[in-house]
Amino acid sequence: MIRSIILSTLLLIGCSFAQSAWLGGIAVLGVVPDLSLVALIWISYMNGPVSGPASGFLAGLVEDFTSAAPLGFHAFVKTAVATAASLLHGSFFIDRFLLPIVLGTLGTIAKALAAGFLSLFFGSAVHSYSFLDRIIWLEAAYNGLVAPLVFFLLAPLKRALAPERGRS
Amino acid sequence: MADSPSKETRRTRRAVPGILLVVSLMCLIISTRSLAGVPERVGITVFGFFEKGFAAVGSFVSDTLASIAELRRLRADYQELAGKLERYTNIERGLADLQAENRRLKEQLGFSDQLSYERISARIVAKDPASLYPTILINKGIEDGIRKDMPVVAFQDGIEGLVGRILEVGHGTSIVIPIYDGSSFVAARLDKARHEGLVGGSGSTDEPLVMRFVKKSAKDEVQYGDLVVTSGFESIYPPDIAIGRVQKIRDLEYQTSIEMDLDPILDFSRLEYVFVIRSVPNARTEEASQ
Repeated sequence: MIRSIILSTLLLIGCSFAQSAWLGGIAVLGVVPDLSLVALIWISYMNGPVSGPASGFLAGLVEDFTSAAPLGFHAFVKTAVATAASLLHGSFFIDRFLLPIVLGTLGTIAKALAAGFLSLFFGSAVHSYSFLDRIIWLEAAYNGLVAPLVFFLLAPLKRALAPERGRS
Repeated sequence: MADSPSKETRRTRRAVPGILLVVSLMCLIISTRSLAGVPERVGITVFGFFEKGFAAVGSFVSDTLASIAELRRLRADYQELAGKLERYTNIERGLADLQAENRRLKEQLGFSDQLSYERISARIVAKDPASLYPTILINKGIEDGIRKDMPVVAFQDGIEGLVGRILEVGHGTSIVIPIYDGSSFVAARLDKARHEGLVGGSGSTDEPLVMRFVKKSAKDEVQYGDLVVTSGFESIYPPDIAIGRVQKIRDLEYQTSIEMDLDPILDFSRLEYVFVIRSVPNARTEEASQ
């Protein structure tokens, strides 16, 4: 399990760095797909309640270090999204398109809800999405669209990233 | 791990997400207060190094591909430029004479030379992955003389525009908070009408900047397209750096001031290089001494 947490965390950090360094060119109205979030949803869905949230927490901490967010913001948001995704562990069969799109979209909304939850307690010290703004919906749609591709690319890594699932 | 974990193991597993969420919250509590800064600085130094590596790999691949096409163009350009160089050499001789004359005339008119700031050039290596915290990572840090709160500018289409300020500094990388961030505020003034206000961001590059607290009396003097620049008053930003142009004017009856939407002077999605202003000559002190 420790091995899968470490590998998943490294993968999420890689996704996060890749999207910040390379994906600016495919931004739609300033929004880029959150590859790290989509990958986290897949990892959490495949692993259940430990590996996903733990990897999300560690990758979130790294994101906090490299952004203007206060330390703990991304760690909380990613842990919360991963926990939500891990609750669905084994509930559905993941097909090629429909479920990845739904998970990618709902995961983004869960991220916005987690950020909103934090803003209730920390006020202006943390930023949150406005559900009346187009950005959150654009990001949700974008993440939904890239989710089938990300899930497809992660499938061969199932044994390394989701060993419990791989054995079953 | 056993195939059928005991109840206790299952309970422990279920507790893990809760524990992690609590740890995250504790981090937030600490970092949103005065202890913030130290762990971030260590973090950005370590992880900024890797992010720089990612950017370097990306630019190596794209630069290699681009350079193949570039080589063909360079051959043709070389011939053309050799001819131009000869013409410009002649022009330069005339220009040196004109500059000397211009300097003499300025001295006679009593104008001071244009203030120049010491700048450190930097390349953007990454933009924050999450749109909630729109930050820019640059490839210069403490070792290059960058310090927290230094203003950052960029040139685009021949115009110098304000990018933002340094938020955190690592050893070889720094985080810039752009002016379009929701928590960013800049003391500004209208370049022509000279009315002052405060420019704030809307959190996205596609949303306009908003200039608030402009006197109602300015309404008749402001025109669409008017330039807004930094005022330099009580601010970390030097004066007269372009911020944006007036796009919309809002005069709400219940407010004592007017609000203006500004179209940023810089296209932030096209930014590749920026300049960090290291030292700002004190214009007012110089004027006073004169």
